Amino acid sequence: MNLKPHPSGCLLVLEDSDEDFDTILAAAKESNLKNEIIRVTNGDECVELLEKRAQEDATFSPLLALFDLNTPQGDGRYALKTLRENARYKTLPIVILSTSENKHDLEFCYHAGANAYHTKSVSYPAHLRTVRQIFEYWLDGVILPFAQ
Amino acid sequence: MKPTPDSLPWANGIYSIKQHGVSIANCDSEPVQTPGCIQEHGVLFVLRPVDFVILQVSENIAEHFGGAPEAWLGKTISQLTGDDLFQRLTHWMGGRVLEQNPTYAFTLPASAAHGEYDLILHTIDGYVILECESAVPTLEAAEMMYGRVKHVVSQLQNSNTLNGFFDIIVNQTRELTGIDRVMIYRFHEDFHGEVVAESKREDLSPWLGLHYPAEDIPYPAREIFKKIWVRPLADVGGRPMELVPLANPENGRPLTMTYCALRGASVMYSEYLKNMGVEASLTLSLMVEGKLWGLIACQHQIPIRFSHETRSACEFLAQVASLQLRAVEQRESLVYRLKLEESHNRIVTNAAQDAGLGPLTTASPNILDQMEAGGVAVFHGDRWWKVGHTPADIQLDALKDWLEEQPEFDTPARSVFVTDSLSKKFPPAVDYAKVASGLLAVSLSRQRHTFILWFRPETIQTVNWGGDPHDKPIVVGPHGPRLTPRKSFEIFAESVKNRSLPWQKVEVDAALRLRLLIMELVVSRAEQITEMNVDLARANEELDAFTYVASHDLKEPLRGISKYAHQLMTDAQQEDSERLQKLESIQRLATRMDTLLDSLLHFSRVGRTVIIPVAVNLRDVIEEALEIISIRREEKGTRITVAAELPPIQGDRMRVREIFVNLISNALKYNDKEMREIEIGSRVHPEHGLVLYVRDNGIGIEAKHREVVFQIFKRLHDRDAYGGGSGAGLSIVQRLVSQHGGKVWIESTPGVDCVFYFTLQPTLPAIS
Repeated sequence: MNLKPHPSGCLLVLEDSDEDFDTILAAAKESNLKNEIIRVTNGDECVELLEKRAQEDATFSPLLALFDLNTPQGDGRYALKTLRENARYKTLPIVILSTSENKHDLEFCYHAGANAYHTKSVSYPAHLRTVRQIFEYWLDGVILPFAQ
Repeated sequence: MKPTPDSLPWANGIYSIKQHGVSIANCDSEPVQTPGCIQEHGVLFVLRPVDFVILQVSENIAEHFGGAPEAWLGKTISQLTGDDLFQRLTHWMGGRVLEQNPTYAFTLPASAAHGEYDLILHTIDGYVILECESAVPTLEAAEMMYGRVKHVVSQLQNSNTLNGFFDIIVNQTRELTGIDRVMIYRFHEDFHGEVVAESKREDLSPWLGLHYPAEDIPYPAREIFKKIWVRPLADVGGRPMELVPLANPENGRPLTMTYCALRGASVMYSEYLKNMGVEASLTLSLMVEGKLWGLIACQHQIPIRFSHETRSACEFLAQVASLQLRAVEQRESLVYRLKLEESHNRIVTNAAQDAGLGPLTTASPNILDQMEAGGVAVFHGDRWWKVGHTPADIQLDALKDWLEEQPEFDTPARSVFVTDSLSKKFPPAVDYAKVASGLLAVSLSRQRHTFILWFRPETIQTVNWGGDPHDKPIVVGPHGPRLTPRKSFEIFAESVKNRSLPWQKVEVDAALRLRLLIMELVVSRAEQITEMNVDLARANEELDAFTYVASHDLKEPLRGISKYAHQLMTDAQQEDSERLQKLESIQRLATRMDTLLDSLLHFSRVGRTVIIPVAVNLRDVIEEALEIISIRREEKGTRITVAAELPPIQGDRMRVREIFVNLISNALKYNDKEMREIEIGSRVHPEHGLVLYVRDNGIGIEAKHREVVFQIFKRLHDRDAYGGGSGAGLSIVQRLVSQHGGKVWIESTPGVDCVFYFTLQPTLPAIS
């Protein structure tokens, strides 16, 4: 067990499925994350929320973003592209977590500046493991740009 | 006129048939316009126009009017006519245009010394030519003849076909003259002749359709026929009567007898007629637009004379026919054109319902039907479509390659190549000159090398000739084998060797019109295909979207189900085994549905992309497939044999590997034997050529199921029997194989073995 405290700051999760979001929360719990988790359910909401928070606090940025790709309205792709066009979020680690194994999705995401791409397994334990690995790697394994 | 070579015997003097005829060896060298002799049934005088003094007279005057020729020379013509008729003659001549225009003046009445003589006069080179022909009765009275000619003229004007037109001419000419045989003799472009109409005594053998070499009516003779309308030859065997003196005493020149009815017959012509058993002839010219189109050739088996009235009537007929001929030709050509166009319209309409241009040659009607050609070949879609007599494919390929280089096809609007002697332009064509001496070719698309070629056989293959050496004995004339039917045939055969009849303008135009029709059809079909492609692309996009939904959106609830089942299982712990079992089932079903969705997605992707075949090493591919399946060739309960000899193949490496992965997995899976035997190899199949196969000693597949197994998600067994699986494997194999243009099929003895055969090309060449 890693006893080093996680870097503080919030996590941004774009996920329309309650079940999948629940899995993320379960994984966070298992990983003992104390960070605030902000959930948005589509890309439009994601972009608006970040704009709003930036107005309130000019220095605001999440530590890490977890994006699903396929959501209603503006989707994860839209959010990814929009954030990467914004100088403020150019360096924000964005990890894609999608059901799709489609080559085009993979290419699009890496091209648009995603930091990693994971697929969601139908098997719950496997899915849970994937999310935990993401947390452990990004919050413990690497030094993040916005860590305070 | 061609110059007389110095080597000829009369080169330094005046020619006379009587003196020099035997020495003639070449038709073109015979001075037919100045023969120096006349026919024996009349007398010819050359008169000085100012005083009608006799300068020359034919040597036979004594036989007709008495007195030696020399006795007549220097006298005036009144010596013959008497003073009254001399007055009448000079009066008659005043104001008449007689230059090169022989005209009947009147008939010299019979006397104690001689019978009736028709007097015919014309002037030439400043002298008066008087021809006295002993008068012969006409077959019909003058009024009757006039009525007949008038009737004929109106009939000719109403003819729509050349054959009908010609038949009227030959029948009426024969009735007018009472001659044994009347023919229309048509000159082709190379001046070889063809009998296109005939009226004859019933007992004579027909000459209709026979062809004759250009040499039979040689150049000097054709030149004369351009100048005169009628040419009588009363007795082929008659003695030539020489002029006395032979040269004009005033200018020393020979007499030009072009316009004389009594002109002595060419020795070559006489001999030729004799060799054909003809004793007399009457020849009329058919002139169209200043050119000698043909002749009305009349022949009789015994000597025969024609009155000047009969000759005039025939001459009138020939003139009317000449004037009408072009109009009839045009009417007939119009009929031919309409027939071709109507046929081509139907062909293109039929072709419009088909995907390719094949129906041009295979449907009824096809493009050979109305065209006067021996065969047609269309190159389209990388193959030849042929009908009728054509060269072989390999010869056509070479011809096509050569045609593509021809500048004629640089003109987009008139992309046509026409020849009646292909081998002269393209020497290899000599090999198939019999079927294709004539070629009419249009190009539909140079990029795609699409051509339509009409072939016309060598003329010699299509014509008849009376003197065919194969069934006639050699006929030698009195002067040796100069112009005999056999000799003539040889000359003819040489002149038309490797040549076809020429293509008519109407045929070339029809070919170009057909080309445009087909191109319009192709363009409109291309538009249809473009539209269909747009539709297809849309359908494909929709299908992509669907499979995406299937793979993604359907998985989301599945993940939820799986997750809740997991959580419930975690909560239930070990207390309730029945509940646990049910929850496990939910999880298992979710996993299975996940597999199905993946297979569906994969299957839909397999069909989409185009493959680019490359050389594939089968041995490597099979090794990789085994590695993917994680099986060794020899392990407990399994033996996999790969043939030592594997053929080189062309294909997409990854896809070929996937075929083997699926087939080998299947072979392992559906096998209940203690020792699973799998054999991979190739063999030459009697029907399909080279095939690859995967054989196993497993449960096999009953005949009735052999089609069904290729349907997606079709399984023959319970889903968990034989290791489960999605049921997409064989569907994917079938798709991969058909992407290569090949096919896959099963041969099996249920319970004993099962063989999957597949090919990777439509026509795999058999390897020895």
